[in-house]
Amino acid sequence: CTEKKKYNYCTDCESKNHSNDRCPNIWRSYITNSYNDNHVFAYPGNAIYCYNCARRGHYGDECVEYRTSKTPNINGSAFTGDNLPKELR
Amino acid sequence: ESNSKYPWIRNNDHSRQIEISDWLTMEIKDFINYISPSAEEIQARNGLVKKLRQSITSLWPDAELYCFGSFATDLYLPGSDIDMVIVSKRRNGKYDNKSSLYQLSSFLRTRGLGVNIEPIAKAKVPIIKFVDPTTGIHIDISFERVNGIKAAELIVSWINETPGLRELVMIVKQFLSVRKLNVVHTGGLGGFAIICLVRSFLKLHPRVVTGSIDPLANLGVLLIEFFELYGYNFGYDSTAIAFNDKGDAMYVTKHSNPALQGRNPFLLAIQDPHDPSNNISRGTHNLRDIKRAFGGAFELLANKCYDMYNASYKERLGQSILGDIIKYKGKQR
Ligand SMILES: [Zn+2]
Ligand SMILES: [Zn+2]
Repeated sequence: CTEKKKYNYCTDCESKNHSNDRCPNIWRSYITNSYNDNHVFAYPGNAIYCYNCARRGHYGDECVEYRTSKTPNINGSAFTGDNLPKELR
Repeated sequence: ESNSKYPWIRNNDHSRQIEISDWLTMEIKDFINYISPSAEEIQARNGLVKKLRQSITSLWPDAELYCFGSFATDLYLPGSDIDMVIVSKRRNGKYDNKSSLYQLSSFLRTRGLGVNIEPIAKAKVPIIKFVDPTTGIHIDISFERVNGIKAAELIVSWINETPGLRELVMIVKQFLSVRKLNVVHTGGLGGFAIICLVRSFLKLHPRVVTGSIDPLANLGVLLIEFFELYGYNFGYDSTAIAFNDKGDAMYVTKHSNPALQGRNPFLLAIQDPHDPSNNISRGTHNLRDIKRAFGGAFELLANKCYDMYNASYKERLGQSILGDIIKYKGKQR
């Protein structure tokens, strides 16, 4: 039992849903634009919509409504507040 | 063998890329270069359009001929057809009748402008289908329908202002066409609907909208995330894709607009930017297979990335990531 747990733990992103060699970070890595230190990211309030309930203000990964897609979202997706630039999270 | 199955990787090996998503980005660019028409192909198509325009205005001097669809927006795959529409200069709908349809068909036949000429009068949008005898290109001509022209203008402006839109649309189109899921008559996803899905995805993506990333440098991860959104997470039952007057992407609930509701809740809804009472994707009855195909593409691409990440450089050599989801059949280009 403990062995199985160990196998399904990723030390890269501290997730219990996959092992290191199946970590989404392997492909979900972005080449980011470089900005100088005083660059301020604008909060994209008008472009934050929920793929699940269609409402504005939160992303689908954070939706509290009943999930309509029958396909599970185990590892999280691109549409989460965590994917905003650090300063805006 | 593997190289002839994925001809775009010939002389383009990226297996030494440190980041797997960069490898995929480069492969996407190679593939688009590979399927993009050559200068001769572009010339042949433009010449054909010019010839038809001249011939038809010699028959009907007060007619104007416009292109729309993938040819007009430069989003066509090799071998795709050319969509044209005839509009009277006075915009009085003069050519919207069966006699025009048959008059033009016999004109094309007697002038040798087309073979396999098929006037289709009974369709919702009456058209003439024919094949150009010299290039073998298929042509569809419709009459007095201006919405295709308006859509083409909008698409061109979207392509110009949305980096990455053209590239992702070309990949998704090719992916769906291999699976025969891009034909609306058979319940598939049409060209404009694909463009709306990709534009909405890009315009709402947290990294893209904040300017944190350049989409052209991140096509690989964005392609996987496109399939992740529409294959796994999108709430088709309740959520519709829409654009405001400025063309900004948004979601609206389906029950906010009767035009977006069908008898079956599991239907894709895309509010027409030019006509909110129209759902662009209302003919897409086969959402089940489309969603499954997108989900499968996500799985295949992610798994290939894990395999390649854990493989040695020797094992990576000559491998294709894109090749697991896209097979290119057709003559060597
Ligand atoms: Zn992980
Ligand atoms: Zn929600």
